[in-house]
Amino acid sequence: MAQQATAVEVHQTSTGIENTKLAMWVFLGSECLLFGALISVFLLYRNHSLGGARLHDVYDIPFTSVSSFVLLMSSLTMVLALAAIQRGDQHRLRVWLLATALLGMTFISGQVYEFTIFVHKGFTVHSSVAGASFFILTSFHGAHVTVGILMLLSLFGMSTRGMLPQEKATAVEYVGLYWHFVDIVWIVIFTLVYLIPAPK
Amino acid sequence: MAAGGTTAAKQHGHPKERVYVIVAVWLALITGVEITISYIKMPDPVKIVALVFLSAIKFAVVVGYFMHLKFDNPALRKPFITGIILAGCVYTIVLLAFTLHSNVPK
Repeated sequence: MAQQATAVEVHQTSTGIENTKLAMWVFLGSECLLFGALISVFLLYRNHSLGGARLHDVYDIPFTSVSSFVLLMSSLTMVLALAAIQRGDQHRLRVWLLATALLGMTFISGQVYEFTIFVHKGFTVHSSVAGASFFILTSFHGAHVTVGILMLLSLFGMSTRGMLPQEKATAVEYVGLYWHFVDIVWIVIFTLVYLIPAPK
Repeated sequence: MAAGGTTAAKQHGHPKERVYVIVAVWLALITGVEITISYIKMPDPVKIVALVFLSAIKFAVVVGYFMHLKFDNPALRKPFITGIILAGCVYTIVLLAFTLHSNVPK
């Protein structure tokens, strides 16, 4: 009987992996394809500015570097939130979840500010194919970050109401996987879109 | 009790918090090196290779340590790595197609 109960708790599957976790990784694999396509389109059209403002003329690398650093550090706070719930520390779980959400909001605020500057400099979604591909790629990423922030705030709310006990640590783990994925996509975007020089 | 034991088992094998902080410091340092390289005058191919290499390291470290792929069941790597490889194929195919038949106005 005890053996049967244990078997149920570890969710034995033919793969030896929890179905939800496997599904999450398959979902992230499919997201690689989505962002791969968007990045491909941007790299192909980055020089098609139709004589208007060019992307590398409007960039503010120091500002974007700070934004990238903020998002990178949010991955640290996210993994610390997971470690906190795994050892049953609800107070630190809430602190790290809120810190991650705030860092994410800082990143999004930076992106909105950056977009505003670009538009004022004449680089808009309508100005050229390069503009369209840039704004579609970065906006898609921004939308993913926003969804992540909403999930983090939901977890925070659940924790404050006592609905996120140690036994439900997997919920934090799955949201964490999504959040880290958003971070690694930005690692690629930051290098390929911002840092690598445009072909002459 | 049993549920707590299950959670403890899942936690087993994951790095300690100190390791996460050290990893984050390294990631920040690599980012600093990337930004420095982007400002240094050097041939574009060298710059591109260096930046892509550093970016790949950051990518792998976040996936390995923060997403625990290094410590979790190796079977979980398959769907994710397949996605990355397919994404690379998409870019290569599209790049080749557009390089061979490109008439988009610049």
